[in-house]
Amino acid sequence: MATTAQPRIEEDTWIPTCCGQCYCMCGIKVRRQNGVITEIAGNPDAPSGRGSICVKGLASPHLLYDPYRVNYPMKRTNPEKGLGVDPKWERISWDEALETIVERLEECRARDPRGAYFQATTTQASEIRFGVIGFMKGFKTPNYWVSGGGLHCGNGAHFMNGIMHVSWSIIPDFAHCNYALNFGCSKGHGAGHVAVQNATQAADARFRGGKTVTFDPFLSAQAAKAHEWVPIKVGTDGAMALGMVNSLLNEHGIYDAEYLMYKTNGPYLIRPSDGRYQRDKETDKPLVWDLVDNCPKVHSDPSVTRVQYEDQAHEVALTGTYTVDGVACRPSFELLKEHVKKYTPEYVEEVTGVPAATVSRISKEFGEAAEIGSTVTIETSEGPKKIPSRPVATHFFRGTQGHVNSGWTCLSVDMVNHMVGAADTWGGAFGLGAAVGSGYEKTGKPYQIPYACPDGLLVAKTWVYDHVPYPMRVPKAPTRLDLHDMFPTSIYNAFTITNPRWFEMLDRFKIDYKPDVMINFGSNSVMTMGNAEQVTENFLKKFNFIFSFQLFVTEFEEAVADIVLPDTCFLERYTPAVSFPSTFSHPQGEDDWGWSIRQPVVEPLYERRDFNEVMLDISKRLGILGDYYKGLNDSIGIRYGGEMDEKYKLVEDGSVEHSWEDVCDRMLKDRFGEEHGLEHVRQKGVFTWPKKKEDVYWKWFNAARVPIYFEYFIDSGEQISKLWDEFGGQDFFDIDWSRFKALADWYPCPSHCETNPDYDMFAFYWRAVMHCNSMTQQNPYLDECGQEDPYVYAVQIHKDTATEKGIADGDNVWLENPEGHRVKGWVALTDGIEPHHLAVAAVAGHWGNYMPVAKGKGTFFNDLVEMDLPHTDPLTFNQDICCRVKIYKRNGQDEQ
Amino acid sequence: MPRYGMCIDLKRCYGCYACVMACKVKNHTPPGVFWSRVLKGERGTFPSTTRQALPVLCMQCDEPSCLEVCPTGATVKLDNGIVIVEKDKCMGCKYCMMACPYGARYTVEKWESYFPEGLPLSPYEEFAKKAWEEKSGVGVATKCDFCRDRLENGGQPACVEACSANARTFGDLDDPDSEISILIKKYRGEVLNPEIGNKPKVYYLAPR
Amino acid sequence: MDPKVNGQLQEDWNWLVAIYLFLGGVGAGAYTIAAINSFIGEGAELSTAVGLWIGFPALLIGSLCLVADLGSPTRAVLAGMKPKTSWIARGFWIISAFMILAFGHLVLYLTDGPAQGVVAVAGIVFAVGTMAYTGILLGASKGIPFWRSGVVPVVFVVSALVTGHFTIMLGVALFTDGVAMMSSLRTMALEAAVLVVLEVLAILFFLQEAFKLPDPRESAERILRKPSFIVGYFLLGLAAPFGLMLVLYRSMEQAGAGSIMAVASIGAVLGLAGGLILRQAVLVCGALPTLNMGGFEFRRIARPKEPKAGIGLLPPQ
Repeated sequence: MATTAQPRIEEDTWIPTCCGQCYCMCGIKVRRQNGVITEIAGNPDAPSGRGSICVKGLASPHLLYDPYRVNYPMKRTNPEKGLGVDPKWERISWDEALETIVERLEECRARDPRGAYFQATTTQASEIRFGVIGFMKGFKTPNYWVSGGGLHCGNGAHFMNGIMHVSWSIIPDFAHCNYALNFGCSKGHGAGHVAVQNATQAADARFRGGKTVTFDPFLSAQAAKAHEWVPIKVGTDGAMALGMVNSLLNEHGIYDAEYLMYKTNGPYLIRPSDGRYQRDKETDKPLVWDLVDNCPKVHSDPSVTRVQYEDQAHEVALTGTYTVDGVACRPSFELLKEHVKKYTPEYVEEVTGVPAATVSRISKEFGEAAEIGSTVTIETSEGPKKIPSRPVATHFFRGTQGHVNSGWTCLSVDMVNHMVGAADTWGGAFGLGAAVGSGYEKTGKPYQIPYACPDGLLVAKTWVYDHVPYPMRVPKAPTRLDLHDMFPTSIYNAFTITNPRWFEMLDRFKIDYKPDVMINFGSNSVMTMGNAEQVTENFLKKFNFIFSFQLFVTEFEEAVADIVLPDTCFLERYTPAVSFPSTFSHPQGEDDWGWSIRQPVVEPLYERRDFNEVMLDISKRLGILGDYYKGLNDSIGIRYGGEMDEKYKLVEDGSVEHSWEDVCDRMLKDRFGEEHGLEHVRQKGVFTWPKKKEDVYWKWFNAARVPIYFEYFIDSGEQISKLWDEFGGQDFFDIDWSRFKALADWYPCPSHCETNPDYDMFAFYWRAVMHCNSMTQQNPYLDECGQEDPYVYAVQIHKDTATEKGIADGDNVWLENPEGHRVKGWVALTDGIEPHHLAVAAVAGHWGNYMPVAKGKGTFFNDLVEMDLPHTDPLTFNQDICCRVKIYKRNGQDEQ
Repeated sequence: MPRYGMCIDLKRCYGCYACVMACKVKNHTPPGVFWSRVLKGERGTFPSTTRQALPVLCMQCDEPSCLEVCPTGATVKLDNGIVIVEKDKCMGCKYCMMACPYGARYTVEKWESYFPEGLPLSPYEEFAKKAWEEKSGVGVATKCDFCRDRLENGGQPACVEACSANARTFGDLDDPDSEISILIKKYRGEVLNPEIGNKPKVYYLAPR
Repeated sequence: MDPKVNGQLQEDWNWLVAIYLFLGGVGAGAYTIAAINSFIGEGAELSTAVGLWIGFPALLIGSLCLVADLGSPTRAVLAGMKPKTSWIARGFWIISAFMILAFGHLVLYLTDGPAQGVVAVAGIVFAVGTMAYTGILLGASKGIPFWRSGVVPVVFVVSALVTGHFTIMLGVALFTDGVAMMSSLRTMALEAAVLVVLEVLAILFFLQEAFKLPDPRESAERILRKPSFIVGYFLLGLAAPFGLMLVLYRSMEQAGAGSIMAVASIGAVLGLAGGLILRQAVLVCGALPTLNMGGFEFRRIARPKEPKAGIGLLPPQ
């Protein structure tokens, strides 16, 4: 019988790439059958993942094929903007979209290119570092932020961990740590911080018998898995940490003198007059007191420094008073030791609610578990070396640092590690991601070995931003719309740009341009920053034109976007560098280095186009490609550990047009050699090379010290307050510059100071394991999974508290803050929360019409987050994300 | 012939639901069907409260009550100990669902999309629907089969592979030297609700 | 834990299965009474006739309800494949045999055929089997602790006799008249009252047993909070018919035929409705066992559900 049937294309293949459901971007394998993505699994070749993958990554097929994805460019035809306004979308062609965009950008450039404002999502962190940075350099605008990220979780943590660990965050060396103290954070318990690897390591640690204690207002995943859950009042972790420092130093007398002498500025002599270092007249270097020679020496004098543990050096003074050049000075360690005496266990109990005896006991347990004096021998590239073993670590993240005491709280929590020498050595607190390494042996890239500044302090070799966290920027007259140039400690801030007097303030600070065109890449800032109305009215509506690369029409697009461009999702695009710079994307520990990439698993569907390709296209139309390429070349130097070789540099005069794939290929070849370009790395999705042990436990292989006394903050504070006064900044914001000081303290949040007894509950948010930022709520797999958990969409309340208030399990309620903002939810009664607290999973409560799966689920906590100065840390400008609320039952009439 | 079983270390498990999703995306189960499921428990009064996750799946009982009650012979225990449903023999009486003390069986009356009704199916859902109908189907009992197809290709069940906490160990219970046998023996693995008497082959190691 | 958070409930067997169990009981119960009456003869002709008429169709309709509840009804013929272990398969054969016997008995009865006594004895055996089966079916379900009690078959057998009896009464009241009806109904009212008392005892015993263990206890508490069980079954389905039967029995002399028929019919209908409600309530209050591990109790949750996704708006295509 004759047949006309075509041969069936039977395709069944697994393609390695990287996940993109959150910022830790683990290695995955994606199964494609006859052109359709049908299954996802972990990529065993990728050090970040090693074959496992989390719930969000697994659920990605629904992200790729969601019928609510934006598939074609569209424009707003309703000139009115705002929450609840129908944009009256109309589909347009790519040509029309890009022509309009380029026209608006050209107008903006004619007025002032700095009026262009880039807003991006943390979820696609690796893409940001190309399209966003290249464009900003090319177009010449300094204005950029990632909405929410930075304000809720970054300004304090990243900055401070950058100073102390040249890293984005900190994490216990789970493989060897015997006593981990979680200050609320879920690292190793679902946090998107190398989620899979850390979960593996944390589970191994539990199996091994490692002890965990968790401070948390509620019984989070990490508290549930801990040996001991210590309920603590929200926002008071800093007081707890300083209480531990006090208890260690002054109660139990436990500290690692060796570490403090040679690896911190603890021995630096401080003059009493202004709290500054007493410096050597000749070299201008800080001095320490040599106890053997009984004389002052510069900190870097070989007789008083020990780079490696087995080096010999004189002991230096940590306590006492020493006269140098006629000035009686004391080592900074002693100042710290005295300073923290006020954090008595009783005081800590009063602030945190943790019993004084518990503070004292945990400090003792921690100090003893540090086994100060113990060592291990590791096999380095230069043979066996002895290093200290300090198997204890504190760690923290967003919840701990999301308060007006953010900066100092971060430093305080980490300070506990440094008191016992448990930093970046065997068993102690590691930087996360792994940020110290000498690179692939054949190219020496990415080279990220930190070094010591002239004052001896730790300086990062690579960093995610143009400026390393230390030495700090010098405050300058502002050019950015958020006055960023004046604020050396922050990445972004919200209190300036969301202020109703924003434009007035710009005039005062002599910023002679206004917000003009906003480019949004994947962010839903209406929901992720704070109170939606304040964000929309005071900030977003000030832009003349907003275009947005998006997967869905989020609340942001509905409210304010003029043009929406259909972006590709992570399964449809190339990204040349995913695990580097290692923020949350590269595991610490002894496993190999792995440079992961993204590659399209399917061709972009419909008319979706990749963000980075479109940014190149727009830049070409604007005639700024040359500067765009230069921006990328420069950025790769600082962010990815080494300048590009001339051979691979993008051609900066604009004479050559590089495709996005070419950019990817060049970058890979530059990092790993001609034979290891895109074609090569695609095969496994990752390029790996062995990690040296001295890169893992780098502390005693590096000459740099870390500060326990922040002398340079004093300078910074003086500079900034002077500049602030010159502009009359206090007319707008009465900022307490006194937080720029040398020694750590705890400061109360507005929630702790609320006096109206009606607002009797502390509300805070947490992140559920199946959700990241706001997008995953639209994924029906993840949404269903969220409903399987008793608390993901609920407001957790202690059952006795609920009973007192006449609230029953499942009741619908309002949470209302003292500023009069209220959000709705329903309660789940539990014994797993401190009775004065309410816990809400973030970022829920969508109301947008174009994300129906997400719509109406959970509670929109961020609407309670105020973005004004009183809710901002004056040191880092981190937002305060806890608040006092009253909770009351909701009935039918006041649903809206 | 091996006698397959699983051992889940509750000390390692932190309730991340990856096993739930790995099962979904591997077996393309429709809404409401959780061959692999995570239950959450809480005990104690504040502040001595604690929570624990319990991953459950078909316990592949040695004496399965579902098999006993099946009137048609659709439920079969294979030589390797895996209990399966032969979908062409199942009449959908759901008696097995009443007989399974672990709630491991699911029947869907009609295949449903994960997205609101009235939309065309996405290519993934078209695939998922076809895969479900071929392997399991509507109106019949369905259940976990330890990813039998993967085992045939030398793999492991999807939930085992996905588990980032390495809480799950899969293997041959009859082999005293297998990792699973050693774990169960050394850490005194227990089965769920042994009083029911089904002799489950999924063992648990105590949470703490 | 607050039962509102209990997501353990079985949701797969509901009204159709309840009707199946109910009609199985009604048919078998009515037949049993009729068949026994057929031996008594004198004075029981009416109830025998009505009872024989009911047995077969009730079972047929009940079985059809079960088939309708099947996920794959076309495979219903496979239902009897495994009588060695499965009670559904056993039920398949018991009910089939009973239906043949009931049908045969009816035909013989109508044609005044031979060997009616033999058929009746066999019929009674399978009718009792059918009544017991409806309870044992649930009792053999290891997954639902509430049903696991051996008392369920007792309850269902008694209830089957009650509902069977009420069915006959209803038939007698509706389809016959005259003195014979009056005297039949008077006797039957007394019998009904006695049977109802037995059922009350059985159900109390069942609940008392359920309260002894945590999981069945939770189901028992749930059933006692269920308005359909308390009002529909206990008050209207047991107490009211009991009262009406007593009224009927004591006032038969004075009352007119119309009101007697009305009281008997109302009582019977209430009693029947009660039997159905009982079965449905027992079904839907069945729940999976709580799983115990490491000192924790694990259950599925059934929170106030989040809104089901509406169609929303699609971006312009």
